[in-house]
Amino acid sequence: MKKEYERNVTRKGVGIGSGCAAGRLAFFKREQTVIKRDLTRSREEELLRVKTAIDEAVRRLTTLSERVSLETGASEAEIFEIHAMLASDEDFSEAIEEEIRNGACAEDAVERAAKQFEAMLSALDDPYLSGRAGDIKDVARQILAVLGGEENARAVDSDEPFLLVADELTPSETVTLDKSKLLGFVIFGGTPNSHASILARAMGIPALIGVGKIADSYEGTYALLDAAEGTLVLLPDETTLKEFQKRARKVNALAVEHEKYLRSLIHKPAVTRSGRRILIYANVGDVHEAEVAYLNGADGIGLLRSEFLYLSLDRYPTEEELFESYRATVERMKGKRIVIRTLDMGADKQAEYFRLPHEENPALGFRGIRISLSDEEQFKTQLRAILRASGFGSISIMLPMVVCAEEIRRCRALLSECMEELRRRDVGFDAGVELGVMIETPAAAIMSDELACEADFFSVGTNDLCQYTLAADRQNPLVSGICEENREPVLRLIEHAAEQIHARDGWIGICGEMAADLHLTQRFADMGIDELSVSAPYLLGLREKVTECK
Amino acid sequence: MKEFSYTVEDPNGMHARPAGKLATFAKQFDAEIRVIYRDREADAKRLLSLMSLGAVHGGVLCFRITGADEEAARQAMERFCKESWGSGA
Repeated sequence: MKKEYERNVTRKGVGIGSGCAAGRLAFFKREQTVIKRDLTRSREEELLRVKTAIDEAVRRLTTLSERVSLETGASEAEIFEIHAMLASDEDFSEAIEEEIRNGACAEDAVERAAKQFEAMLSALDDPYLSGRAGDIKDVARQILAVLGGEENARAVDSDEPFLLVADELTPSETVTLDKSKLLGFVIFGGTPNSHASILARAMGIPALIGVGKIADSYEGTYALLDAAEGTLVLLPDETTLKEFQKRARKVNALAVEHEKYLRSLIHKPAVTRSGRRILIYANVGDVHEAEVAYLNGADGIGLLRSEFLYLSLDRYPTEEELFESYRATVERMKGKRIVIRTLDMGADKQAEYFRLPHEENPALGFRGIRISLSDEEQFKTQLRAILRASGFGSISIMLPMVVCAEEIRRCRALLSECMEELRRRDVGFDAGVELGVMIETPAAAIMSDELACEADFFSVGTNDLCQYTLAADRQNPLVSGICEENREPVLRLIEHAAEQIHARDGWIGICGEMAADLHLTQRFADMGIDELSVSAPYLLGLREKVTECK
Repeated sequence: MKEFSYTVEDPNGMHARPAGKLATFAKQFDAEIRVIYRDREADAKRLLSLMSLGAVHGGVLCFRITGADEEAARQAMERFCKESWGSGA
C-alpha cells in the first residue's frame, strides 16, 4: 500500500558548512549488516574466514554474556550464551562448510545455512519453538558482521550517494562509517560541536543538525539539503528541485572561485599585517586526514587524535600497530611537525575492551591522562610507539586533561623509562621530543605558570574548556547554547595562560573549535597565540584571515 | 547401549535455553547420546539438532546412549533431566 506524502515539506535546522547537497535519504541503522561479496577467494580461504569469524562472534557473544551477567543478571545473560552456542554449533558450521565446498563465498554460505535452519525451526508445529528461528537469524547476523569487518557492522543501505539521517552519531560510529558515498548529514538532535558536525566539517560536506525526528518511511526518498539556509526539503517537486539545482550551481561556483584564490595562499606563510607569523596547523584523526591537511597547506599537525586506532579495534592496539600508524602520518607530513595527543578515552569516547566503569558524570570522571596514568603498561606502549615514530620526522607529544604539574612529572618519568627501554632494544628515536599539555580545564589555564615549568608547549582544547568553564555539557542541546553565547570567560582564561606561558618561553596553540572561528582570529593574534589548529576544510580560510589581521 | 526416557516438563517445550543446557551437560561424556522424539532423532551434544526436534511440553524423549562410559552417562543424564533440567532451573 502506497502512502501519499505532502511534497516540498521544509524542515529547519542549524547548517554546518555552506554547501548544498541533493540526494536520497539513507537512515543510519545500528543493527544493519551490509553484505559485500568477493568471489575471488579460494575455498580454503573462505573456510578459514568463516572459521575465524565464528570464533570471533563466539568470543564477542561470550564477552557480552559476561558483561550482561554482571550488570543485569545471569538469566538475562543466558540468551547471549545460547547464541554463542548456536554460533559454534557443529551442525551449523558443517552446513556452512558444505555450502562453501559447493562454491559459495563465506557470506552466502552463512546466509544459506542460517536459512536452512530457520526453515527447519519455522516448520515446527509449536508456535513458541518455531519462533526460535529468530535466534538463528540473529546469530547469522553476528557472524556476517564480523566477516564484513567493523565498518559494515553499522552501515547504511545505499548503493548510490546519500544524505545520512541519524539521531546522533557516537565517535566510534563516525569512525566506522563508510564515507565514500556520503553527501551530507541530517541529524535529528546534535549540536554544532557534536561528532557528526565535527566529521562534516572535517570532510567538507554540509550537515543540518537539530532538524527533529524524520520518519523511517522517508528512507530512500529524495531530499535537498542547504546548509547556508539551514533547510532540508523533503520530497521536492520538479520546480523546487530545478530552483535548488540553480542555487547549488551558484553557491558551488562562488565556492570554486574563492577556492582558487585560497589555493594561491597554500605555500605562503600566514603572517599578520604587523608581521607576526601564526602557524596554521591541522587537527586530524588518521593518515588520510593528514593527507588532506598536507594538500591544504597545513604547516603541521596540531592535534593528532590517537583514539581512532583504539576505537576501531576491539582490543588494545600493539606497539607495532601504533608505531606503523604514527610513522605513516609523520612521513606523510614530510618533515612538518606533528603533535600526537596521547589517548583521550573516557567521557563520550568508550571502547568495550577498556572495561571502563559506569560513571554518573563521565565528563568529570575517569578520562584522558587519568586513565593513561592508571594503566602505565598500556600508556608506555603508546609512548614507545610515538618515540619510535619520532625517528622518522618531527613529533611532539601532548597530554590530555591535565590539571596539575604532578601529572606532567609522572608522564615525563614514564617517557624517560620508555626511552631507556628503546635504547636497550637499540631502537632509534628523537631524544629531544617535546612534551606538551592540553589546556582543557580551568585548572590548567589558571596554573599555566606552574605547568609551563614542566611542559614544553601548550594547546587549548576550547570545546572542553568551554564546557568545564561554563558548566554546560556540549552534547546537551538544552544547554549547549550557553557555551556559544559566553566566550568571554574562556577567552580570558586563554589570555591569562598565553601571558604566563610566553613569560616562561613556552609556546601556545589552540586546537578546539574556536580556533576556526574567524571572528576570533584577531583576538588570538593580539594575545600572541603561536599556532592555530583546525580541521582541514578550514585551513585555507584561516590562512586568508590571518593575513588580514592587524 | 543404554536407554531411558524423559517427559519434557518445560511449559515452552525444548527451546533454545533448555536445549543449550542439555547439550552443555551431554558434552562431558564420550558416549554418543541420541535423543528420539516421535519420528525425529537428534544428537544430544548439538544445540541446533536438539532444537529441531520440536519437542513440546509433555512430549516423551527417548535417550539412547552408546560408548565406553554409557552407564555413567545414562545415570548422570537421567539425574540431570529429572533434577536440574526439568525444573527449569
